[in-house]
Amino acid sequence: MADREAVPAAGGPLLEVRDLWVRRGGETLLERVSLTVQRGALHVLAGPNGAGKSTLLAAILGQTAFEGRITAHWRGDGRIGLVPQSFAVDRTLPVTVVDFLALTRQRRPVCLGIAAATRRRVAALLARVGLSGAEGKPLSVLSGGELRRVLLAHSLDPLPELLLLDEPASGLDQAAARRLEQLLAALCRDEGVTVLMVSHDLAQVRRLADRMTVLDRTVRADGPTAEVLAGGQALVELVGLSAVGAGAPAGGGGGDSGAPERVV
Amino acid sequence: MIESFYGWVAELARAGRLPSDFQYPFMVRGFLAVLVLAPLLGGLSHLVVARRMAFFSAALGQAALTGLSIGLLLGEPLNAPYGGIFGFCLLSALGMVYVKRRSALPPDTLIGVFLALTLGLGICLLVAVTRRFNIHQVESVMFGSLLTVTDGDLVLLAAAGLWVAALLVREYNGMLLDSLSPPLAGVAGVDSAWVEYLFAVLLTTAIVVGLKVIGALLVEALVVVPAAAARNLARGTRGYLLLSIAVAFLAGAGGLGISTRLLVPTGGAVVLAASLLFFATLGFGALRQRRGRQRP
Repeated sequence: MADREAVPAAGGPLLEVRDLWVRRGGETLLERVSLTVQRGALHVLAGPNGAGKSTLLAAILGQTAFEGRITAHWRGDGRIGLVPQSFAVDRTLPVTVVDFLALTRQRRPVCLGIAAATRRRVAALLARVGLSGAEGKPLSVLSGGELRRVLLAHSLDPLPELLLLDEPASGLDQAAARRLEQLLAALCRDEGVTVLMVSHDLAQVRRLADRMTVLDRTVRADGPTAEVLAGGQALVELVGLSAVGAGAPAGGGGGDSGAPERVV
Repeated sequence: MIESFYGWVAELARAGRLPSDFQYPFMVRGFLAVLVLAPLLGGLSHLVVARRMAFFSAALGQAALTGLSIGLLLGEPLNAPYGGIFGFCLLSALGMVYVKRRSALPPDTLIGVFLALTLGLGICLLVAVTRRFNIHQVESVMFGSLLTVTDGDLVLLAAAGLWVAALLVREYNGMLLDSLSPPLAGVAGVDSAWVEYLFAVLLTTAIVVGLKVIGALLVEALVVVPAAAARNLARGTRGYLLLSIAVAFLAGAGGLGISTRLLVPTGGAVVLAASLLFFATLGFGALRQRRGRQRP
């Protein structure tokens, strides 16, 4: 039976997923998934297409039915930020960047005008993701990368305790991807935000992630990033990570650090 | 009191300070109805299009025909068949939302099934209705007629308009976010089911109170076409809302004028005017886009 609960924090893990199953239309999307996301860590979820990564995020958000247990040890109000994988905007959608970002930042309907305080808050958010001055642009004219930065800006305010990102770097150019990495690192380090991110970029995972979980309907590997990546080429190919030949895993290289922490 | 208001407006019309059409109380009533319907239907229309519910609205309009038949067969008066129409439209709207939320089938497929069901039932019942009523009496409800709008209809329209507007103001931001991205709306604490059912109820209310002027079969066009026209020009939500209302008002007022001069059903004239405005904005939008591309 599904059980998604919040309990008082005791330090250590922020999120514990235990024996999670998701079934839809007679098909099993996730089975016996167990993992722990440590508070303040940047934890990457990797896996091939159809591995159930987005489904796992949906279960954590309580947006899909599941069996098992998800426990969050919130310290604050348990706010979750989300950068979703897909955000369909059709070509004629008359919603500007400031309209979109104001939707959750003022009570007044955005079609009746944007409050001055909301405008200031939105401008500061856009500056943080390198999109200053984009307030008046309709969402429909933004590039894929710009749209993802707007979604990132949306997820940062109010500051979440847990930030879920579903392939946030897709569509970003190199400079924007670097900026994203710096921002995420600063969020974890300086503001104590816990990040759970789906990524296919091996180099990025290596640079950023404290821990990673390899998912293919069930957990194939879980542990500190260097140890998981030391699991060998077969595992990396299974994950479907890009830039496979980018060099040896950083820190440890699979020598004496032992095998990845197998959960299943 | 209301009679003296009509008398005062007629005086102004005779003195040339208002269009001569306003000498007639039914024209004043029609115009007042348009003044309420334009923000109501125009305002709703921009959310209908944002939430991709144009086909849903069309199905509701067809359900009104069936509701009309049910109401008349149950003994409702021809000039106020609200109970049957509201009841059946509401049932259909909630049924469509309920099934849509529980089925993996695409929404347009499910709505197509409901459309077939309500239309089939409506046509069968209409045959029974025409045995008891002259078809021309039923026509005014199906296609809208200025002559049948009463002061009571106007009061109902104003009350419904205020109720819909109050709820829309309260829920607008959540509704728009839910239509853009249900997962983001969920994270922001928006209850997707509440938003979807509430919007279906508001849409049903607006369609039912608007049908006296526009007609049961055509009113759904006014919750789609104004926003479609506005989309050709608007860049942000404010312009989108204001243009939707402006198009609904121009179509309503223009349609009233056309309908009295050419003696055609009000609903047909209003929807025709709205459609012409859509194509005008389409052309204007394309022109503006071309100029924008040519500018260095």
